[in-house]
Amino acid sequence: MSVSEPVLRARGVTVARVGTEVVRDVDLELTAGEVVVIVGPNGAGKSTLLAALAGLLAVERGTVELRGRVAAALQAPALANRSARANVEAALGWWGAPRGGRTERALAALQAIGARGLADRPARALSGGEARRVHLARALALGADILLMDEPFAGLDPPTRAELLYDAASALRDSARATLVVVHDRAEAWALADRVLVMLDGRIASEGDPATVFGNPPNAAVAAFVGFVGRLEAPDAVRLFRPQDVALDPDGPLSARVTRLVPVEDGVRVELALDAGRLVALAPAPGPRLGEPVGVRLLGGVRFPRQPSAGRDVRDQDTPPDL
Amino acid sequence: MEFIWNGIWQAADLLAHGDHDILVVVGTTLRLALCSTLLALALGLPAGLALGLGRFRGRRVGLAFANAGMGLPPVVVGLVVALLLFRGAPLGGLNLLYTLDGVILAQTLLALPLVAALTAAAVQALPAGLLEQARAFGASRTQVAVLALREARVGVLAATIAAMGSAFAEVGAVVLVGGNIEDETQTLASAVLVRVSAGDYGRAIALGTILLGLIMILAASLTVAQQHERRALLGRPS
Repeated sequence: MSVSEPVLRARGVTVARVGTEVVRDVDLELTAGEVVVIVGPNGAGKSTLLAALAGLLAVERGTVELRGRVAAALQAPALANRSARANVEAALGWWGAPRGGRTERALAALQAIGARGLADRPARALSGGEARRVHLARALALGADILLMDEPFAGLDPPTRAELLYDAASALRDSARATLVVVHDRAEAWALADRVLVMLDGRIASEGDPATVFGNPPNAAVAAFVGFVGRLEAPDAVRLFRPQDVALDPDGPLSARVTRLVPVEDGVRVELALDAGRLVALAPAPGPRLGEPVGVRLLGGVRFPRQPSAGRDVRDQDTPPDL
Repeated sequence: MEFIWNGIWQAADLLAHGDHDILVVVGTTLRLALCSTLLALALGLPAGLALGLGRFRGRRVGLAFANAGMGLPPVVVGLVVALLLFRGAPLGGLNLLYTLDGVILAQTLLALPLVAALTAAAVQALPAGLLEQARAFGASRTQVAVLALREARVGVLAATIAAMGSAFAEVGAVVLVGGNIEDETQTLASAVLVRVSAGDYGRAIALGTILLGLIMILAASLTVAQQHERRALLGRPS
């Protein structure tokens, strides 16, 4: 097997739950050494796709070809009632690892994810973040050729999540393994991904490196999901903007009125109403007053020509954003 | 009240002096309880796992039968087993009628639904995702079953206590299948019945006291083990 040959190849995968197709015609390839992240809103079909790739759910249509063994770390840590180390050893036992080296492998995996100190703690005594670390450690310990992980940072408080995310970002790098991670949050995708897939309504809506997917979305639906929350309508196009694309400037060419102010960590989130739509900007505290007219300058954004016949907005790649 | 105390003293005296008849009936009772419980566990644990975790047509019907089976009238089970064991009946060739093995068979049938239904309930109460995660890490069916039983061990011990308790208390099936034959198939519970019928209340109370003592010792041992496991599961010091 050559290094660049995919270790997982999914073609036209469709998966149904209770008679409803929640994953539709998904094509996907994973290559050894890469970390691929799937992002998408709740109900997009991410976890269902992962379960199908892991063989835990039947595929309605399409094919999944594997070159190597696949392990899946599901969303809930679901640790057994024994110590953290014994949990990792149990997973190694299920995987078929020789009994002799299990303890060493378990401790090495716990060490790799910064959980060596938890080895002898009972699972019941672990906090949510610690349980997730142990869960991650047992997935890493297996040495699978293909590792699938479903929301490994779900339900954690922000500091715990950030700490585990940075540890995981380095621990998941392995030239011999292909890793697919389902996450909810763009920051997690930025930290982990070589390649990002955006999943919307059961389909892969966008694919590429994080900078391309998040900065240059292919259509309005993907743009809205990746943070382009401002929207200006024109007869022939829709223009979408992230908060960082919008600056409050008394000399700006656009006029707007402040409709809502929300304090955020770095200042104030300012919602603006314009004749052509609405925008969101970030401003230093205390920001403008509610109802105040302000000038606006646009610094970026994306433009999607209208295609009434297609029924949705599609990015015109040849047309630079109308700024 | 005095004759009750006399009966208790008599029980202590019989045990202290190693009364042969008492030792035989205690031995028979223990053998019946242990053998039938072990057989019920051997058959009931896999059945309980299948009913609790399986995905097959008829699983709910099976679960309903197991739950209903917990209330099976022992006399009816004893009667059916006895009829099946009569010479010329389908199981007559086994020559188990009026033998302790026949009684063990009947008691196993009574304990089996207890073990299966309580095991099914225990494994169904396991945290969502525990067994699915084991499968996702490559666990075989047997490994998943072992994990389920291990994690549901408090419930499995409850099933064991129930099975053993029913064996100690059983009279109807013992009399109908075993014939309540002294030194062969008579157990403590059925011996009490005979003594009461004969008006020998003193010895009946003595036998009853020994039976209660045995039940208390075995149930207490299993309960201590069960609660130890529960504390371990909750992560509290034992």
